[in-house]
Amino acid sequence: MVTRRVFLKSGGLALFGAGLMGGIPAFLAEAAARGKIAGPYQKRKIMVCIFQRGAMDGLMAVTPFTDRYLAEARPGLFMSPAKNASGKPLIDLDGKFGLHPAMTAFEPLFREKRLAIVHGIGSPNNTRSHFDAQDYMESGTPFNKNTSSGWLNRVAGLMGHDAVSPFRSVSLTASLPRSLYGDNPSVAISNLRDFSIQMRGIPKAVNFAAEGFEDLYDQTTSDLIGQTGKESFDAVKILQKADLQGYKPAGGAKYPGSSLGNSLKQTAQLIKMDVGLEIAFAESNGWDTHLNQGRDTGIFARNVEDLSNSIAAFWTDIEAYHDDVVVMTMTEFGRTVKQNGTAGTDHGRASCNFILGNDVNGGIVHGKVAPLAVENLEDGRDMPVTTDFRAVFSEVAERHLHISDSEALFPEWKGDKTGVMRR
Amino acid sequence: MKSFVKTLSLVFLFCSSLLLQSSFTEVPDQKASFKMPYRQAGLSQQQAAAHLLNRLAFGSLPGQVEEVVKTGLEKWVVQQLEGSLPDDSLNRLLSRYEFLQLSNAQIAQKYTTAGEVVSKAVKEGLINKDSIQNFGPQERKTFVDVYIKAHNLRLTQELYRQLIEQKILRAACSNNQLTEVLTDFWFNHFNVSIAKTSCAEFIPGYERDVIRPRVTGKFGDLLLATAKSPAMLYYLDNVRSSGSGLNENYAREVMELHTLGVDGGYSQEDVTQAARVLTGWTVYPVSQMSDNDSIEKANEARLVKGGSVRDGDFLFAANRHDKGEKTVLGVKFNNEGYQEGVRLLEMLARHPSAAAFISRKLAVRFVSDDPPQSLVEKMARTFKKTDGDIRQVLITMVSSREFWDTAAVRQKIKSPFELAISAVRGLGADFEDPYPLYAWINRMGQKVYYYPAPTGFPDKAQSWINTGALLNRMNFGLALASQRVKGTKFNLLELNHYHEPESPAAALTAYGRILLPGRDLDETVKRLSPILNDPDLNGKIEAAVKKKAAAKPDTALVSDEMSASAGKQEKGEKKEQTPASRAAENRAALVQVVGMLVGSPEFQRR
Repeated sequence: MVTRRVFLKSGGLALFGAGLMGGIPAFLAEAAARGKIAGPYQKRKIMVCIFQRGAMDGLMAVTPFTDRYLAEARPGLFMSPAKNASGKPLIDLDGKFGLHPAMTAFEPLFREKRLAIVHGIGSPNNTRSHFDAQDYMESGTPFNKNTSSGWLNRVAGLMGHDAVSPFRSVSLTASLPRSLYGDNPSVAISNLRDFSIQMRGIPKAVNFAAEGFEDLYDQTTSDLIGQTGKESFDAVKILQKADLQGYKPAGGAKYPGSSLGNSLKQTAQLIKMDVGLEIAFAESNGWDTHLNQGRDTGIFARNVEDLSNSIAAFWTDIEAYHDDVVVMTMTEFGRTVKQNGTAGTDHGRASCNFILGNDVNGGIVHGKVAPLAVENLEDGRDMPVTTDFRAVFSEVAERHLHISDSEALFPEWKGDKTGVMRR
Repeated sequence: MKSFVKTLSLVFLFCSSLLLQSSFTEVPDQKASFKMPYRQAGLSQQQAAAHLLNRLAFGSLPGQVEEVVKTGLEKWVVQQLEGSLPDDSLNRLLSRYEFLQLSNAQIAQKYTTAGEVVSKAVKEGLINKDSIQNFGPQERKTFVDVYIKAHNLRLTQELYRQLIEQKILRAACSNNQLTEVLTDFWFNHFNVSIAKTSCAEFIPGYERDVIRPRVTGKFGDLLLATAKSPAMLYYLDNVRSSGSGLNENYAREVMELHTLGVDGGYSQEDVTQAARVLTGWTVYPVSQMSDNDSIEKANEARLVKGGSVRDGDFLFAANRHDKGEKTVLGVKFNNEGYQEGVRLLEMLARHPSAAAFISRKLAVRFVSDDPPQSLVEKMARTFKKTDGDIRQVLITMVSSREFWDTAAVRQKIKSPFELAISAVRGLGADFEDPYPLYAWINRMGQKVYYYPAPTGFPDKAQSWINTGALLNRMNFGLALASQRVKGTKFNLLELNHYHEPESPAAALTAYGRILLPGRDLDETVKRLSPILNDPDLNGKIEAAVKKKAAAKPDTALVSDEMSASAGKQEKGEKKEQTPASRAAENRAALVQVVGMLVGSPEFQRR
């Protein structure tokens, strides 16, 4: 009945590379002694996905500033790279697109050609419901509601090797996101420090429950509960070895105190612990800017500032792993070309996304954005989708994680690559 | 909401203790026309009663196994199928929930979101459009609060919170347990989600008016009622589907998930054709906030004259219906208006694939993750013979050997909701506030009412058991036992008739019997013996509690239970070895023993 993972599958448990040898759980040392862990230490490729819930206004994050239609449609929101007195200018990326001035942290990454942007990305399904669009994007099947698995869970299943630890797919959220639903074990942890038996209120000296639980779950090794229970305690021990509280980011990285910053900091911790992480998921909220979107300051500016500063801090922090890690953002749809009556924008179609990594074809705004004249818009109001999100997601997964079966990853989809990955 | 919570917390909600009394109340004698073959499967009456309480109920209350034996097992099942045992104490608890009395339209009028308030205020000219630019989050919140108060409105979050609370209270406290189990089952089968805003405010009415009254009735009635409910119409988008703008979502799911199953023998063409049959099935505008903009509020007489049908919040809008000929599963539908859809749903409910699909799903819920085909076939036969009479299908199930087989008993893994409710029931807990329990259910992986996909929560062990979730289950056990789940109160000593176990090992046996009646606890006891019988343990407990008491007299662990029974915080000075501090020492151990029981592998099974 149990066909889950093998915790100590050959392929090398990364722990050994991290100088944790002295503190590894006894079972690991045992297994190593018996030669069960074969092969040399081997680094895993890691994909970090960030879902921007609420639908980011891609036209404000990365503005086609030469487009006069956009300037006309958004008198209260439009910015240009020209320096003037009324606010900070856009960061001119290529003479056509400008990065929002609050995203200064992204500029060097773009110039170093590690950060790519895809503009006009979105779903072929034209729903403008947050719920449906997120659901479709996370299941990866934009026309089928009852796909029970999420696309990231399928990624885990298609990697061609067993998970070496319970930390292969981790969501730094309170509950598991739709993207990770499915049969391949994934774990949601909002705070790594809570991943333990919590004995609050019980004197330490008489704390026997943790030990008791471990013994209880040791009794039935053959079934699902027993096996998972053992893995839980293994995982707890791994985290116990790490000094989570006293964590010092490398390279002077300064994470914002936001929820996203915190999630990415913990992701970096997991990466450095070498616990077998391959897929990480984090969320960023507050993108549904119907009201008071702001321009160079305000809600949207704060959001993109947090997004870019969090990602940039993460990137600085994990410098030793740059060849192994790719970061990709996603959002369910974009927003209307025209500003609405309450200084914001409503639900639209295409948006843009960011991909960061050493194997990314960076320094380029990929995709196609036609002039935003009414006749070029979907339903006369929205920037049309010119790049299917699956084209980008599958390319990143295939190239970075070496997954070749894109049909199993995104059933119902066949399409061309976008060239967003260099290798 | 504030005043609501206040009144609620002023009154202790002694649901379980009242429940014990009311279950002794005589109800009209019901004779069972069936026999349950548990003896043939080698189960004693007690074990059989415990099995029933694990499957047709959310676990047993203290002493309930004996009660069911006394009532008679078959008779108890009949009572549960009837679902009409008196529930006075529960009803008193529920009377505090205003929304339970409100219609969909009243809920739509009463409950609103901060966003809606601001846009309304702009429309009404209360806020200047330009001044919105300078509206900070705090100002916005204050404005919304004031506006809501002035207009006697409430925020939708409060509605959903109350919805969750009533579900917990019913599951934990109702005497009609099977009704609650089945309401949970059918809701999940015909899932809708608060995560989808457009359908969210209809969900309270959906569970109350559509699901709950039909849980043991005819499957076809349940299907039709869900099809016509605003919650489902919005959730699966049929509300917008028309001849010129077809939306297939509902048509697909009604076949794949609600009736026939994915291999039920239909094609994509059948889906499209069924979607055409169901065009015009929409919602009668219930409020100006409804986004159903294409339908004018029209008087009913005119609607009916045009071939439209209004039934409560449901509207068949004739002008949106595709009048052309359609063929679904070989059957023709042609220009019969509303009746086309009714006929389609009847046909689906009576389809042999539906009999098998629904029977299997029930067996998965009540018997095992992989139920024997022989059982599914028996149930499906009854389903067909009785025109989908759910009550009869369930009787066939409990009358079958397979239901009682050792391969089935204690083989289901509890969902997080089932775990939480069975723990609370097992401990005979009362609620000051049911909501904090929900935070734990969510943390263990089941955000009830929010599951986004129309499939509903999966009903198999693999989907609930993973490293993080399992750890949370253990932590839930400890948190509950040490009274750290706020608002859920119980008295561990009272449970054991005020007999204080002499040792941790004795506590394990005593509370094991209470929480896991009818189970073989030998293995659990054996596993824990070395720890619990550690000669140092008692000494350690004493020393630690003394130290803790000296340093900080009022610890959460030691005082909570006492304050719960004494009704006030105890400010004890426990530097000396007093009877009170001795009791506290034992409790530190007792709490852990009970916590371990709730978090044990055995308690995860039902």
